[in-house]
Amino acid sequence: MIRARRSLIALVALLAIVLAACGSSGGSKSAPKTSSTTGFGAAPSGTIVVGAEQDAACADWIDKCAASSWGAWMMQYQTMPRVFDYAKQGSDWVEVPNVAMAGMPTVTDVGGKQTVTYKISDAAIWSDGQPITSNDMKYTATQLASGKNVYDPTGYDQIESVATPDPKTAVVTFKKPFASWTQLFSADYGIQPSHLLEGKNRDQLMKNGYSWSGGPWIAKWNKGVSVTLTPNPKFYGTKPTVQKVIFKILADTAAQFQAFKAGELLAIYPQPEPSAIAAIKGGVPGTQAVYTADTANLEAVWMNNSRAPFDNKVVRQAVAYSIDRNAIVKRLFGDIGVEKPMQNLQPPINSRFADPNAWSQYTLNLDKVNSLMTGDGWKKDGSGVWAKGGKTASFTIESTAGNKRRELTEQILQQELQQAGFKMTIANKSADDLFGKILGAGTYQMTIYAQTATSLNPGLCAVACTSAIPTKANGQSGNNLSRISVPAADPLLATVDSNPDVQARITAGKQADRLLGDDQVSIPLDPLPNIVLWSDRIGGPVADNPVLSMFWNMNLWTLKG
Amino acid sequence: MVAYILRRVLYSIPVILIAALILLWGVRETFDPCAQFRTSRGGQASVERCRKADHLDEPITSQYWSWLTKAVQGDLGQSERTNADVGSTIATAMWYTIQLIFWGVLLSALLAIALGVYSAVRQYSVGDYILTTLSFIGLAMPPFWFGLIAIQFLAVGPKNWFGLDRTIFGFVGLHNGDSTGFDLDYVRHLVLPVLTLTVQSIAEWSRFQRASMLDVMSADYVRTARAKGVRRRDVLVKHALRNALIPLVTVMALDIGGLFGGVIITEKIFAIPGMGRLFLDSLQQGDAPMLVAWTVVTAVFVVLFNLIADILYGVLDPRIRLA
Repeated sequence: MIRARRSLIALVALLAIVLAACGSSGGSKSAPKTSSTTGFGAAPSGTIVVGAEQDAACADWIDKCAASSWGAWMMQYQTMPRVFDYAKQGSDWVEVPNVAMAGMPTVTDVGGKQTVTYKISDAAIWSDGQPITSNDMKYTATQLASGKNVYDPTGYDQIESVATPDPKTAVVTFKKPFASWTQLFSADYGIQPSHLLEGKNRDQLMKNGYSWSGGPWIAKWNKGVSVTLTPNPKFYGTKPTVQKVIFKILADTAAQFQAFKAGELLAIYPQPEPSAIAAIKGGVPGTQAVYTADTANLEAVWMNNSRAPFDNKVVRQAVAYSIDRNAIVKRLFGDIGVEKPMQNLQPPINSRFADPNAWSQYTLNLDKVNSLMTGDGWKKDGSGVWAKGGKTASFTIESTAGNKRRELTEQILQQELQQAGFKMTIANKSADDLFGKILGAGTYQMTIYAQTATSLNPGLCAVACTSAIPTKANGQSGNNLSRISVPAADPLLATVDSNPDVQARITAGKQADRLLGDDQVSIPLDPLPNIVLWSDRIGGPVADNPVLSMFWNMNLWTLKG
Repeated sequence: MVAYILRRVLYSIPVILIAALILLWGVRETFDPCAQFRTSRGGQASVERCRKADHLDEPITSQYWSWLTKAVQGDLGQSERTNADVGSTIATAMWYTIQLIFWGVLLSALLAIALGVYSAVRQYSVGDYILTTLSFIGLAMPPFWFGLIAIQFLAVGPKNWFGLDRTIFGFVGLHNGDSTGFDLDYVRHLVLPVLTLTVQSIAEWSRFQRASMLDVMSADYVRTARAKGVRRRDVLVKHALRNALIPLVTVMALDIGGLFGGVIITEKIFAIPGMGRLFLDSLQQGDAPMLVAWTVVTAVFVVLFNLIADILYGVLDPRIRLA
C-alpha cells in the first residue's frame, strides 16, 4: 500500500513536470498582446530572453571595470542618454543625433578655439521625471577629466570648459582643435545624471547597478545570472512594446546554441569563433540570421617594423605577396558568407576615411616574391628558406594562446609562407603577456590581434604616426605598437586626428592609407564579422549596429505568438 | 576531543595563510589585469592608471600584508575585475553552489546507499552486474560530456521529438525568467545540473557502500543476529547498514568539502553563478583579491569537512578515540 502510494506520488510529480513543459515559454505572455509600435496607450507584453556571453563587470561606465562590451550592450546603451547614434547612409556609417538631442551639435570657432554647442531635447527627461540638462553634460565631462576611478579620459582632457547658458544648451570649448569630438558623450560614456550623482560617490552608487534611466529601459542586474530590462515609463522616444527583456548569462558557446535551438533563448550574438560557425553550419531552424562584415573590428597580421626581418620593406612586401588572404578569410568565415579580406588598416565603420584598395595589390604571387627577394640580394638556402648575409628569413609569430581562430590563421599562414620560402614559428603567449609586456616592449616580430573602434573617428595617428612609437622618451606610452615609420604619412595622419574639417580628414586618410599600403606596414586580414541570430518569434527591425550591437533598438522589437 | 579540534584548527591556519601568499604571488606573476588596456584608446596611460589603482606597483609582500590586515577585520577587499566587495560576491556565489551541493549530495547519498545495499545483498546477481557496469560507466564519464549529453537527450531532444512547446528540463541558470523562488520552474532547472554533479558521486559512493556492506555482512555479530532469528530486514538495516554507513559518511564528508570549489564544469555548462564559475571568471582575468579570498574560503571548507569527517568517525564508532 505504502509502495503504491509512493509510486503514485512520483508519477504525479513527473506528470506535473511534463505538463509544465507543454506550456509556452522562451518568451512568455503575461498580458494581452498588442501590435502597437509606439507603445502609447498599449500595455507592453511578453518577455524576450536573450543569451549573453559575458556578464558586465560593473555598471559604473566611467570606471575601468566597465571596459566590457556586454555590459555596455545590456545596460549602458539601454539606460544612458547619449548625443549620437550611428546609422548607415549610403556606404558610410555616420553619426546621427540621438532622440535625447534636439538636433546635430554645431561646431564653431570662437576666439580661435573650437566650440561645440549641444542642444538637448526639451522632451528628454530621466526616469524620475527630472529633465536631462546641460549640467548633466558638464558633470560628465568634469568626472571624466578629473574624477576618480576613470577608465580613459581621452578627449575629455581636451575640454577647456563647459558652459551651460540654459538648462538645455551645453557649450563645450576645447583647448585645441579636437577632430574626434563626436566620440564624446556618446557610445563611450553617455551622459550621467548630475542631480543624482553630483557631490556623491559615483562609483559606489553605480557599480552594482542603478534603478534610474534616461533611455528606453530600466535595468535590474542580478549579478552573474541575468540583466532584466523593463520599459522606462518616462522615456521620451518610442517606448518598448515588450514587457521585459532578460539577458541570461551563458558563457559556454555550445550550451548557448543548444538553448537557442531549444527556444530557451530567443536571440544570441555569438563571437565569430570556429565553434560558433560550426554550430550555425549545423542549422538552426525557426530562426533568422544576419552575418555582417560591416563591423568596428579589424583583425590584422601586425609586423614589427623596427625588428628584423620586418625592418626591411622588401621583406614585408614579399611576405604580403606570399599569402592568399582571400583563402584565409574564406576558410575562417566562408560558411557565413564573409569571404573578402580587408584592404586597409581601418575597421569597416571608418571606411569613409580609408582607401578601399590600399592593400588590394597584395595577392598571392610567388613570382613577385621571388623577384622582390632576389632583387634585394636574397637567395634560397638548402632548406628552401630565403637567406642573406648569413641570416635567414625566419621569424616568430606570437598571438593570444587559446584563441582557436587565430591559431587556425597561423597554421594557414605557416603553410603558405613555407611555400614562398619563409620560415614562421608559432609561439603564442597569454593575452596578459602579449598586451602587457611584449607589444609595448617591441620584443616581437609578428603578431595577430584585433583592433576595435569605439567611435566613427579613426584615431589613426595614435596607432601609425612615428611620434606614437613607444620609446623611453615618451615613457613607452605610444600606441604605435607595430613601430610604423612612414614620415610622409605622419602629417596626413595628424590631419585625420586633428582637423575639424571632415572632408579634409577623409582626403588625408585616403592618402595616408595609400602610403601605408605601399610601405606594407602590416597585413590587414578580416573584419571579424558580427553574427546576429534571432527567433522567428521576434518581430521588428532587428539589425546589427557595429558600435551599439544588435540590441541597440530593442524598444522597437515585438514578440509574436 | 576539544583539544584535538583546537589542535587541528591551529595547524590549518598557517597552511591556509601560506597557500594564500603563494596563490597571490602566482597570480601576480602570471596575470596582469591591466594589460588589456594596452591597445585601448588610452594606451599605456590607461595601463598605468589601472596599475596604480590596483596597487600593482607595490611589492608582493606589501600587497599580501595589506590584504591580510584587512582580511582579519572582515574586509576581503575589492575585486579588481568588478570593483565589487569580495566578501559579498563570494557569499552570493556560495549560495548557488550550496544549493547544487545540497541537492546533489542528498540525491547521491540516497541513491548510492540504496544501490550499494542492493548490490551487496544481491551479490553476483544480474542486478548487481548491471549496477556495477553502470557504476564504472559513471566513474569514467567526464562531467562536461555528461552535462552536454544530458542537455541534448533530456532537454532539447524530447522537445523536438514530441513537438513540445518548451523543454521538459531547463538548462540555463536556475530559473527561466528573473524569478528567484522555490517553484516548479526551479525544480525543472535543478534536475540536469544536479544529475551532472552526482553521476560520478553516485558511482563512487555506491561502490564504496557495496564493499562496506559486504564487509559488515560477513562479520560475526551479523551472523549471530541471524542465528538468533532476527528478521532479515532488521539485520540488514539495524545491524549491517548502520555500521556499513560509518566509512561512507566519512568519505562523503571529505568529498563534500572538495565540492565547494569543484563544481566548475557543472556551473559553467548550466550558467549557474556559483563558486566554480566565480573562480573561472576571476582566474581568466587574474583577479587576485577574489582568487585569494576564494582559496581561503574553499580551504576553510575543506579543512572543516575534513575535521567533521574525523569527528564523525569517532562519534559513530565508539572504538575510535581521537587523540
